[in-house]
Amino acid sequence: MGLDRRAFLGLVAGGTVGAMFTPIPWKLIDDASIWTQNWPWIPRVPKGQVDYVATTSKLCPAGEGLKIMRVAGNPILAGGNPSHPLSCGGVSALARSEVYMLYSPARIKSPMKRNGKTFAPITWEQALVEMAEKLGAAKGAVASISGDNTGTINEVLTALTAKLGSAGSFMMPSEATTAAKAMKLMGAQGQAGYDFENADTVLVLGADIFETWGTSSRNRKAFGANRPAGAKPANTYVYVGPSRNNTAAVCDQWVPAAAADLGVVALGIAWHLLKAGATSNAPGFDTFKAVVNGGFGPEDVKRATGVAPETLAAIAKALASAKAPLVVTGSPFGQGLGAAPVIAGMSLNMLLGRINKPGGVYMLPELPSVVPGALTRAAMLDGDLPAFLKGVESGKTPAPKALLIYDANPAYGLPEAATMAKALEKIPFKVSFSSFMDETAALCDLVLPNSLPLERYDDVATPYGSGFCVYSLVRPIQKPICDTKTTGDVLLGLARKLSIDLKFDNFQQVIKEKVASLAKVSGGFVAKDVMPWQVAAGKPAPALVGGDLWKALEAGYAWTMVGQAAQTAMGFAAEVVAKAVKAGKPATATVLAPYAQLRTGTPVTGMPCQDLTTVPDTELLGDTTFIRVNSETAKTLGLKKGQMVKLSGAGVDCQAKVHIFESVMPGMVSAPLGFGHTAFDYYSQGKGANYLSLAAVVEEPGSGLSMWIAPEVKIA
Amino acid sequence: MSGQKKEFPITWGMVIDIDKCTGCGACMASCQTENNVEPQREASNKLRATSWMLVYELTNDKAFPNHDIAYLPRPCQQCGNPPCVSVCPVIATDKNEDGGIVSQVYPRCIGCRYCVAACPYHVRYFGWYDPIWPEGMEKTLSPMTSVRPRGVVEKCTFCHHRWTQAKDAARVAGKDPDNLDDGAYVTSCVQNCPSGALAFGDIKNPKHKVHELVKSPYAFRLLERLGTDTQVYYISRREWVRKLGDNYLKSE
Repeated sequence: MGLDRRAFLGLVAGGTVGAMFTPIPWKLIDDASIWTQNWPWIPRVPKGQVDYVATTSKLCPAGEGLKIMRVAGNPILAGGNPSHPLSCGGVSALARSEVYMLYSPARIKSPMKRNGKTFAPITWEQALVEMAEKLGAAKGAVASISGDNTGTINEVLTALTAKLGSAGSFMMPSEATTAAKAMKLMGAQGQAGYDFENADTVLVLGADIFETWGTSSRNRKAFGANRPAGAKPANTYVYVGPSRNNTAAVCDQWVPAAAADLGVVALGIAWHLLKAGATSNAPGFDTFKAVVNGGFGPEDVKRATGVAPETLAAIAKALASAKAPLVVTGSPFGQGLGAAPVIAGMSLNMLLGRINKPGGVYMLPELPSVVPGALTRAAMLDGDLPAFLKGVESGKTPAPKALLIYDANPAYGLPEAATMAKALEKIPFKVSFSSFMDETAALCDLVLPNSLPLERYDDVATPYGSGFCVYSLVRPIQKPICDTKTTGDVLLGLARKLSIDLKFDNFQQVIKEKVASLAKVSGGFVAKDVMPWQVAAGKPAPALVGGDLWKALEAGYAWTMVGQAAQTAMGFAAEVVAKAVKAGKPATATVLAPYAQLRTGTPVTGMPCQDLTTVPDTELLGDTTFIRVNSETAKTLGLKKGQMVKLSGAGVDCQAKVHIFESVMPGMVSAPLGFGHTAFDYYSQGKGANYLSLAAVVEEPGSGLSMWIAPEVKIA
Repeated sequence: MSGQKKEFPITWGMVIDIDKCTGCGACMASCQTENNVEPQREASNKLRATSWMLVYELTNDKAFPNHDIAYLPRPCQQCGNPPCVSVCPVIATDKNEDGGIVSQVYPRCIGCRYCVAACPYHVRYFGWYDPIWPEGMEKTLSPMTSVRPRGVVEKCTFCHHRWTQAKDAARVAGKDPDNLDDGAYVTSCVQNCPSGALAFGDIKNPKHKVHELVKSPYAFRLLERLGTDTQVYYISRREWVRKLGDNYLKSE
């Protein structure tokens, strides 16, 4: 029986309908889809028991407490610790990277010694022998630089440097160094700490308090806590600065003013406060009053800064009528500000009676030292590293014979980078204690890798900006991945080799002694159920129960104290202000107004690999970074959107693309920092330009401090 | 639009206070690491980079000094009427789960990118590259989220795995897993935001903060007039921000 046409069509139709309704093709597609995704190079996620341990971020200068998620003992994720007063559960993009940086391609995997233009691995013992020999020969002319201004490691470093014959122990310049200089000139005792939690009206002069300034995660938590979503804010923030940066973006008011004029604006507000009857018993008040009344009236300020008289008057009125006003002064990019603007800003706090008051400025005492012969933090912050290195470069200052560099990258992170690199080249023996192959390590003779914070004992003591004394522990939650050591242990081993007695055998002992010393400090407590800002507002401070502070710190809680260093002579330092703050004419040249962000890392970390995605394409596109100018400036300079330009300053040229951004003052070129690395890995290297290298260093009249707050640049 | 709105007794929602967001990127970094999005060398290429959470910069388009800016973090909006679902030829994406979270089944995805084209919020990301971590960094992978291969579309899941964990924790504690306490389940971006700009919870649960927040007169949703009925709400006291959120034309 043959197959006729009718039967054939029926078969085709039936087959078609059958194929449509059978799951086979769909199942095959599904299986093929799964099969094509099951490649051996796709990483499999780890299995094992999940647990959480606490530590503190050391890579992020905001000092957040962290909760680290581990799987089978391996750290996996870093999150904010809700129980820590500098975190309150929040975490910066930088602190979040603590785990991933363990495996950064830029990590230095073992000690290395320079061999011509390259490095060769050596053993730790060889490194110690080499160091002992070179440092022994350099006795009397050994300098040190630290980039960590919260760690007890500085006590070991400076004590050793002193015993070797110090040619200077320096801290990398930051807001802390500027503020310390200002406080010293004012005759104040202690570190300025800002109580954001209890303030109701905050005037921010320049400082990017919600990005890189001080305890920024805690600052933002304090800001957010008083501003319930969708409701009327319980506090007011006013930002004064050259651009609407990350901080100004959420403030209630942005007052455009050049970074060089922050002191002028402060004195302009002081003029109103004085006119309204503000007075003070502090030394130098009469001189201060005369200075302010002599040249900082509303019209003077308007002529110099462009800030309208009614704006200043309104700010002064808001501060004067607030219950808990607070004035915070700092650099919009975390460095380079002179001492005088900080003094001028602090003078407003004094006129408003805000020193050592809830919601004001607490002068925080320094925590006790434990290493004999160590410099105090105040003494260390007093050094002026840019001035020192410039002196070395020019030959005015004798070059040290040896330099120890801890957690610092001066060849990248200082202004006038070309000058600083030349100065470093003049120092015959340099050792870098860095975790990553950064620009400075690449210039050194020995590179001795420091274990990362998740691999070592370390600590964070009262970061600048904190409104209270605070101490938290950094502890190893896994063994070092590479052949690295805790620098504290290396320095103590070196001391032994040089027969120098620093009292301790290893760095953990130093930390334990530090914690033991805190347990004896009157008024200290573990922030758990009661937070320090609540104590500042009047709640009784709990006792240090049980005395087992170490266990509490290991559990992720912080030791804290609402401190008040006794003030006997805190004055207005009006003579410094008179010399350094001038209501002159506005700058006619193009001025660089850098901005900094934690997501681009620090000079020590480079750009954390996961954070590169967070950088918008109006800041970095391909390998080119953008500068921001407003349309008026662009028109004046003949610039167009997307145009490639060359910026010149301090003998250096940088490339950039132009981004038209209206929230920048006319005449200002806003530029992102954190780019343009020549070292590190492919996440950082060659991406954009380092605009800080364009900044020329000048000496501030009155204080003698190096500053680079508003460098002029040329654009072609 | 799909035209088929499904209701769920539990409706997880996020409320983002734009007036508090400083645009720091901590939410993006948290999302990336929590959900095993690989580090991307050329992350400045936003057309090819993957970022389930992305922070946009909004401006009021005025010249200095009247210019204003705001930052808008943008996770998947978890639409009530998801445009991505109706266009998926292989049902790799769906909104059938409890909680109103739009799911994405990676092994089923054939990478046709219809959903990418359909999503008005650009929350869906096609994996253009093999997910490669620097040597050793694969040890930091989270066990909670699978690694997606190249050629698959992926997106924010409201850290769905955390909900599973929260329900397990509730069961262990003898509590009702379908009636979690406020804060028992939050996404990684919400947990880690240093500004406290993000809130998360069950919009239908009166005990959860977001239940009230979504009723704020300052609350709005993105492109609301498209009718996607999203579960992500934004809050801003600035009118220009609210208008921009719904793409108002200057003439409106």
